[in-house]
Amino acid sequence: MKELFPAKQVWGFVFSLILTLAALTVYFFNMSKAMGMTIFILTAFIQAAVQLVVFMHARETDDSKSIFMTLYCAIFLAIITVVGTILCMIWGWTY
Amino acid sequence: MKIDHSQPLEYSTEQNRLNILGFWIFLGAEIMLFATLFASYFTLVDRTGDGPAGARIFEITPVLAETFLLLTSSFVIGLGIHAMRLGHKKAMLTFFVITLLLGLGFLGFEITEFITYYHEGATLQTSAFTSVLFTTLGTHGAHVTLGLFWGTFIVLQVKKRGLTPETANKSFIFSLYWHFLDIVWIFIFTFIYMKGMT
Amino acid sequence: MGFFTRFLIPNPSPVIYTSMVAIGITILLIVFGLTHFKKWFYLWSGWLTTVDHKRIGIMYLIAALLMLFRGGVDAVMMRAQLAIPDNKLLDSQHYNEIFSTHGVVMILFMAMPYIMALMNFVVPLQIGARDVAFPRLNAISFWLFFMGAMLFNISFVIGGSPDAGWSSYFPLAGNEFSPHVGTNYYMIAIQIAGIGTLMTGINFMTTILKMRAPGMKLMRMPMFTWASLVTSVIIIFAFPVLTVALIMGTMDRLFATKFFAMTDGGMDMLWANLFWVWGHPEVYILILPAFGLFSEIIPTFSRRNLYGYRSMVASMVFISIYSFFVWTHHFFTMGQAAYVNSIFSITTMVIAIPTGIKIFNWLFTMWRGRIRFTVPMLYSIGFIPLFTIGGVTGVMLAMSAADYQYHNTMFLVAHFHNVIIPGVVFAVLGAATYYWPKMFGFMLNERLGKWAFWFLTIGFCLAFFPMYITGLDGQARRIYTYSESTGFGPWNMVTFIGTVLMAISFFLIVYTVYYSIRHAPKDVGDDPWDARSLEWATHNPVPEYNFAIIPQVSSREAFWDAKYKGHELFKGDYEKIHMPNNSGGPFIMSCIFFVFGFALVFSIWFLAIMGLIGIFVCMALRSFEIDHGRYISVEEIKETEAKYGGVNK
Repeated sequence: MKELFPAKQVWGFVFSLILTLAALTVYFFNMSKAMGMTIFILTAFIQAAVQLVVFMHARETDDSKSIFMTLYCAIFLAIITVVGTILCMIWGWTY
Repeated sequence: MKIDHSQPLEYSTEQNRLNILGFWIFLGAEIMLFATLFASYFTLVDRTGDGPAGARIFEITPVLAETFLLLTSSFVIGLGIHAMRLGHKKAMLTFFVITLLLGLGFLGFEITEFITYYHEGATLQTSAFTSVLFTTLGTHGAHVTLGLFWGTFIVLQVKKRGLTPETANKSFIFSLYWHFLDIVWIFIFTFIYMKGMT
Repeated sequence: MGFFTRFLIPNPSPVIYTSMVAIGITILLIVFGLTHFKKWFYLWSGWLTTVDHKRIGIMYLIAALLMLFRGGVDAVMMRAQLAIPDNKLLDSQHYNEIFSTHGVVMILFMAMPYIMALMNFVVPLQIGARDVAFPRLNAISFWLFFMGAMLFNISFVIGGSPDAGWSSYFPLAGNEFSPHVGTNYYMIAIQIAGIGTLMTGINFMTTILKMRAPGMKLMRMPMFTWASLVTSVIIIFAFPVLTVALIMGTMDRLFATKFFAMTDGGMDMLWANLFWVWGHPEVYILILPAFGLFSEIIPTFSRRNLYGYRSMVASMVFISIYSFFVWTHHFFTMGQAAYVNSIFSITTMVIAIPTGIKIFNWLFTMWRGRIRFTVPMLYSIGFIPLFTIGGVTGVMLAMSAADYQYHNTMFLVAHFHNVIIPGVVFAVLGAATYYWPKMFGFMLNERLGKWAFWFLTIGFCLAFFPMYITGLDGQARRIYTYSESTGFGPWNMVTFIGTVLMAISFFLIVYTVYYSIRHAPKDVGDDPWDARSLEWATHNPVPEYNFAIIPQVSSREAFWDAKYKGHELFKGDYEKIHMPNNSGGPFIMSCIFFVFGFALVFSIWFLAIMGLIGIFVCMALRSFEIDHGRYISVEEIKETEAKYGGVNK
């Protein structure tokens, strides 16, 4: 039975629950907007990294270089798209 | 078909390795898909017209339940893949079925949540905000629904055909998909619900 | 009867009735011909169910030529309407439909499949592979594209064509201002074709990353393969944006959501934003493979290796990532703050640097080369100066303050035609001539090809250079008529003459194909151009397994070095070859997609739900299917190879 629950994955799960709780602190405690956003961004991205490395085995084969290249590209361009859209549509919108 | 026994079953043939890399690349495209939805969400989030804002309709309890269900299902399917690598077909199938049940539970909560929103006067047509809210959540929910069907097919195939390079490959790829949906949910949880409620 | 009135077109005219009859007769003739010559089975087993990348490539090519005709007819009608002031040839609605479909057809259903045709045909050969990574998916890609294109094309006889421009800006594209179903066609047909394109991107990226011949490191890949890899990356990250934008647009039109509405908080400019987040990378999806093709053609006909290989690769990678940083320059005038415009102005101008590097590399490749002026080379040489003019006007447009003058004028129209025609169209026409013997086993007639080139080039200059002048003078695009007092009349007449020359060149190209089928010698050998890269190391036309023995690559120009430096490409002996099975699945599923799309366009919900179920059933059946492919035996390979005269060792 024990071999079915590898320590790495169990700890990964516990860690992801802790990260969720960390994000919840913003809901339960009063804090500044910037502080809240920082916590959100940190917890979300760390959480995603935990999933990728612990659960999705992104690092285990010879293809991991291609996989990470794709992921970095995707994440980078995703951020550009989101930030750029907000830049045009909200921050820099003059109408 | 050459089978390489030094690798886990899901990587054991050339086509299997191609499938896994191809699916990762597909997930790259999916990241962009959800990024676009998020970009639209952030643009439209304050454009509520005469309809309700997020802070008025979001409730913490169902959201936490959904998050917990999906996080757990992601963990369980990880165990399923681990069991598959150990060659425990039965344990693997059990984990997969639990995953799908958790996914079903998630979907149940999401549907009730949508019905609540509807009764509070937030429909798809109410405002730009509700349009983009339902579309973003709905796209994720549709992915989960598709995943439930897909996962069921894979459970049936593993049950009937046993752990072959093909079924192992399909199971592994399905697990990638499921973990990915969990990642997307984390971003929805954080940047739509948590941000909307604080 | 009420049910059927929705299929009527909103602005019937004799032209449209004539085309209806013409379409009907063509379909009847095709059906009759197939039955008479007993070709149904051949069509089904050889083409509709094929998963062979070469045949899929040829089908893309045929589709692209058909669409070039369709888009060209639109162009000629448009320019005929504008040829003289206050012309009454077309009414405004008809003109709106024509410029909208011209743009969509030329970009998405002509240029894209033409590029896809060459990628499909050439890339697996260039990397020494036997097929792409996912042959079945490749067939799905093609048929989804094809059904999307067909759905878009029936719009002008059933229900009416889209009329809000190829960029379909809201609120114009919303239900209020575009009440008939045209824009539904736009949203759904492009969606279907777009899914196919996305799948192609994934397929080719996997293929190029994982299936290269032994010894072919990334920095030994031929330039077109590099271009295809980079293009695939752009497709993968750009097309999901379009998918989302189109879903939102569709929902706004069909389900009255408020994304781009004028009321309830909707934001029409979000459409423009998302459209161009996809749209600008899309431009590079077209031009980078074209650059790759020129980089194949120019070294071959200069008998020199490509100058600055590394800088070529670097500039391409740079352009691909950078293409996502510049989209706002398409709507400088629409309300962002000056600092936002400045940021995107600068990022846009920066793109000229890597492009300039490439131009100089091509020039240095030709420098002191022994140039042969064949048709592909003529297109490449014509490309360089004309494209540079287009690039320079692009930098002019990139200055956001000056753009307030250029925006939405003929100057802009001249600019983007000036990059797309010498860039993409010249590339694909040249490359089609270049790879023709590879595809069909005979050469296209050079003399006729040169005539076509000169007609196209002179026609192009006459058609588009006057637009720069009228554009600066203020002639707006997308306006169906103008008064004589503007003085635009003579220039527009020159443009019309240029258009006619270009139309003649199209017919010359078709005639070249016809003439060459009839008269060209059928035994051109395996290497008619004295080329340099691996695709020429196999036979003409290519056997279904591509290479009897997988080549071993030890340098950048593998085939050239095998010919002239004695590298050994094919080592070892024949082994049985694993090939994928044909399947009717992709075709059938895409047909269901067509029905689904059609039902959505006209809001026939019952049929749409049936279609959706049908699509999922196809996917489920595919999941349960067991398909291990088949083997070609050593005897069979020997027999085929003997017919071609043995492996090129």
